[in-house]
Amino acid sequence: MLTDSIPQALSPLNLEKVAPGDYAKTGYHLEVTAAPEQMPAVAQAMLNQGCFLESLTAVHTSKEAFTLVYHFANFYELCRTAVHAILPDGAEAPTISHIIPAADWYEREVYDLFGIKFSGHPNLKRLLLPEDAEIHPLRKEFAGEEAKAEAPK
Amino acid sequence: MITQGIEEKTFWLNLGPQHPSTHGVLRVLLEMDGEYIASAEPVIGYGHRAHEHMAENRNYHQFLPNMGRVDYLHALAYNHGYCMAVEKLIGVQVPERAEYIRVITNEFNRITSHLLWFGAYLMDLGAFTPFLYCFDDREHILDLLDSITGSRLTYCFFRFGGVPKDIDDDFISGTRAFIKRLRSRWTDYHNLVTKNVIFIHRAKGVGIFTKEQCQLYGITGPSLRGSGIPYDIRKSEPYSAYPAFNFEIPVGENGDIYDRYLVRLEEMEQSCRIIEQALDKLPNGPIMADKVPKRIKPAAGEVYVAVETARGEFGTYIVSNGDIKPYRIKLRVPSFSNLSLMVESFKDNLVADVVAILGSIDVVIPEIDR
Amino acid sequence: METKTGQPLIHLGVLEEALNLARANSLWPLTFGLACCAIEMMAAGASRFDLDRFGAGVFRPSPRQSDLMIVAGTISKKMAPAIVRLWDQMPAPKWVIAMGNCAISGGPFYYENQYAIVPGADLIIPVDVYVPGCPPRPEGLIEGILMLEEKITKRGRLRKFRDVNR
Repeated sequence: MLTDSIPQALSPLNLEKVAPGDYAKTGYHLEVTAAPEQMPAVAQAMLNQGCFLESLTAVHTSKEAFTLVYHFANFYELCRTAVHAILPDGAEAPTISHIIPAADWYEREVYDLFGIKFSGHPNLKRLLLPEDAEIHPLRKEFAGEEAKAEAPK
Repeated sequence: MITQGIEEKTFWLNLGPQHPSTHGVLRVLLEMDGEYIASAEPVIGYGHRAHEHMAENRNYHQFLPNMGRVDYLHALAYNHGYCMAVEKLIGVQVPERAEYIRVITNEFNRITSHLLWFGAYLMDLGAFTPFLYCFDDREHILDLLDSITGSRLTYCFFRFGGVPKDIDDDFISGTRAFIKRLRSRWTDYHNLVTKNVIFIHRAKGVGIFTKEQCQLYGITGPSLRGSGIPYDIRKSEPYSAYPAFNFEIPVGENGDIYDRYLVRLEEMEQSCRIIEQALDKLPNGPIMADKVPKRIKPAAGEVYVAVETARGEFGTYIVSNGDIKPYRIKLRVPSFSNLSLMVESFKDNLVADVVAILGSIDVVIPEIDR
Repeated sequence: METKTGQPLIHLGVLEEALNLARANSLWPLTFGLACCAIEMMAAGASRFDLDRFGAGVFRPSPRQSDLMIVAGTISKKMAPAIVRLWDQMPAPKWVIAMGNCAISGGPFYYENQYAIVPGADLIIPVDVYVPGCPPRPEGLIEGILMLEEKITKRGRLRKFRDVNR
């Protein structure tokens, strides 16, 4: 059962939290909290368990920090794992694209929309906005074209 | 060919963003070594419409019409995923008749999406006749769906807690008659295309996705099932009324274009089966849940809901902070991961195969660009 | 900008009426679907709402061979230079139909703090006919093309069949 074997595989990494999730409320079977530096090891462990990267995104949780959210799922057995990693503003996160190639474009998109850099990424260019754009629109302080006095969330 | 003294260099060919394979606006920079591709670099973002930024500036109700525009070919599945996510956040149970109506309209939309893929893909390969056949079938379905949803393409038919309009007897009898007609068309399609020697030469053995690649790149949908992995969210993580129906997941063997094509044709037949069973078992009852708040103000928290669209797994990730506007919505779209495998699969193929492989993945660029 | 599209250098008198009739009866659109409206444009060219009966069913992929650009879909800021370039590459006389709400005014994607789209095709290229809808029905696009033919020939087109309430 993946809900047992995944926590077993993640236990040598000494992550902050590995707990079963409330599926009826959130849709996760396992909730994991890790530090961004541990993410390559976590990604390798999830790959060895046969999981694939469903989604990689970021949330601008507070003025000083982002939360990187990784979702993993499995083709053969239903087990969705959500990994949250808190990243201080201005810090760089290590890339996992050399382990899971799907993360290549997801990390480029996070850089494009949030300005979070991933160290070791082979091609960290903008993905969705024009190459010469200077904005990172999904940051909470971004006010848009007609910038008025904005209050960050 | 004399190569002594001639320095062979590669040249760059630009495919798009305006090109006749109407998947949307995709640009691929192809580094060509003669007719063979040395490397490919896709450039996307030409259809970026800022859905996720819009979600933070709109409340939950106002964002619902956007979902029909993310992937306009299977808009009802995107409606479904978003409505399920919000219903999970606010804790609303959808009545059974509404679930059945949702499944019926969803499966009809899946058939239209596959029919359009069929016609457009074969037009890319050079065959014009299947395009006209399948658009004819598609128009019948669009008339049926138009009579209850009100739209032909970018549906916004589901509401939080159910559906706004019930299906009537005209719709039910029209559906039954149409499914009978559609089943007689499969022989036409197979005779036209499946046994066509040109199509077989272009499709068999081309664009093979291996199982390891599928896991590394997170491929879902018919592109994955063509490679032999039977992952379909309607069966692995059943939602809505799908557990009540008997249907199969078609799976290919080799992972080439021909298998993906056969998987999609077979999926249309399975969708017909689901619709017939849903009409037979349609329960009576309300179509909208009782206590749906007029102002959706979910408690703080996050939710991730996955549904199976015609292209693969669509995931809605909503982070709420208790406000009437979402704090963050992330739309995990299937074409995003499916397209990132394309770069690897183009290598050492002929440029004519580029169009064939690109079409067989069935991407919709506005959903990648969101 | 009207002079670039509408007025020829040499006026040929009565022959122009014949030429305009020929141009109106055989508009060759550029395959320029950007987003959802492209599907309705394809449906307008397909078997049920045949555009070929108006002479406009020959969709050309190359701008050098077409004389009608149907801007079907949302114009993002990244795509706008490409649209202007394609319009420049079309030989005159050329016309533009803005199909769908996005091409007319930004459509459902225009909001206060938006950063991603150009709210309307007429901000970057001159537009002759606007076809509203999200997406407009294929009959709407056909009405738009017939209106464009009226504009080109300066006489009515099939008014008896179109104006139901007259």
